[in-house]
Amino acid sequence: MSNYFYVSPEQLIKDRAEFAQKGIARGRSIVAAIYDKGVVLVAENPSASLNKVSEIYDRIAFAGVGKYNEFDRLREAGIRWADTTGFTYSREDVDARALANYYAQHLGDMFTEGQKPLEVEILVAQLGNALRPTKLYRVAYEGTISDEPHFAVLGGDAETIRDRFALTEETVHSLETTLQNASRALTGPERTLSASELEVGILEDRGNRRTFVRLSDEQISELLS
Amino acid sequence: MGLPLFSAHSDPGPSFWHFAESQGLTPTASALDDAPHATTVIAVRYSEGVVMVGDRQATGNYIASRDVRKIEPADRYTALAISGSAARGIELLKIAQLSFEHYEKMTDSALSLEGKANYLSPIVQRNNLSSPLMVLPLLAGWDASHRVGRIFEYDGAGGCYERFDFSTIGSGSPFADGALRLGFRSNLDLEAALELGALALYEAGDNDPSTGGPDFVRNIFPMMITLNEAGFQELPASEVGERFRVINERRTQSGGVAGGALR
Repeated sequence: MSNYFYVSPEQLIKDRAEFAQKGIARGRSIVAAIYDKGVVLVAENPSASLNKVSEIYDRIAFAGVGKYNEFDRLREAGIRWADTTGFTYSREDVDARALANYYAQHLGDMFTEGQKPLEVEILVAQLGNALRPTKLYRVAYEGTISDEPHFAVLGGDAETIRDRFALTEETVHSLETTLQNASRALTGPERTLSASELEVGILEDRGNRRTFVRLSDEQISELLS
Repeated sequence: MGLPLFSAHSDPGPSFWHFAESQGLTPTASALDDAPHATTVIAVRYSEGVVMVGDRQATGNYIASRDVRKIEPADRYTALAISGSAARGIELLKIAQLSFEHYEKMTDSALSLEGKANYLSPIVQRNNLSSPLMVLPLLAGWDASHRVGRIFEYDGAGGCYERFDFSTIGSGSPFADGALRLGFRSNLDLEAALELGALALYEAGDNDPSTGGPDFVRNIFPMMITLNEAGFQELPASEVGERFRVINERRTQSGGVAGGALR
């Protein structure tokens, strides 16, 4: 017969949170911000193919930090959920808030009931139109969902980056300025990032149904210069 | 529906259709009859891509609609045309559009044109072998990796065949085919391909009661589209109307027949 030691719920939650935070802190961060014409998601990502930022639906984008396999599975589930909802009802019935809630429930369940909490933090961004507002929903590893009014920072170093970015983001800027500020906030004054180390996705109305575009290295360096 | 999460061994992958099947979202067969059907859609290969022409009429026991769109973009570089049951055809179109986009979002890369053509095979097969509501699609597109326009046709059992000249679907096919067989040359230029496609559709509309020709009374004209390096492009109705007006004028002068030449 095995012996169980009593662990208080407070201690259990604290241990799990510490575990998840450590995992998330190992990865690089992401800045998401609303600019004058849309939403921009900026990730520090040296890989050109293992994406952290991607398209979920016509007006919804996804960003994840932490363990790649864990947030990528969440991304896939989000695309399936959105495409199925749009197929069953109508494209305009696909709402980022509903998706963010599902993510929050799942992350919350995994945090309390799973073998281990997921070591991820994700963001669901929605480009507004006549039906819905532009929104940034941040979902933390334990399922806390927050509606960020203007910009959001995810990842290990989020506090520092948020403070740096907040100084420049009192008002809404152009894409160019927002991207430059985000890039500077991600690195701090000591280093700079080249276009190939950045992954940038935007949601912007350009007359097409699908509003998500991933910017090429050339487009990024042009915007940064 | 909740969040569709799967473990690695049961994951349906980037195929929306397989996922939808596993969730019971795809409908099963029924024994309805009298669904609107009958059509003529034509695809002709030319030197820089493919031209497609499709009539606009949905026919049951009578004319159900005069302005149906039977050719739709499946994605930026691909067009899908439908014949047979309207309900099943539109559903196939919806599944195809969604599946190609779903694959692109899941994998961050687009399916090849041949991949898209093959993807439809089992869907057509499943529908046609389990339901009296037949659907026969016609897929054409610009193959960006081989830089050429390509046409794929299907048989009732879902077999997919590439055509290197032209293809027709629907009840007006025999008449359209006749005109195309007389007028087709390899390396047609765009103008010649548009002219031939319009003529072939005019023939089908003239002879098949279930194919709608140009409707000068309501100003409804067949759809004409081009697929080339620039992607799917639809000709404006005014331009299509003018093309058919010219053909109609010629036919009026020669007493309802072509009058000795393919024109």
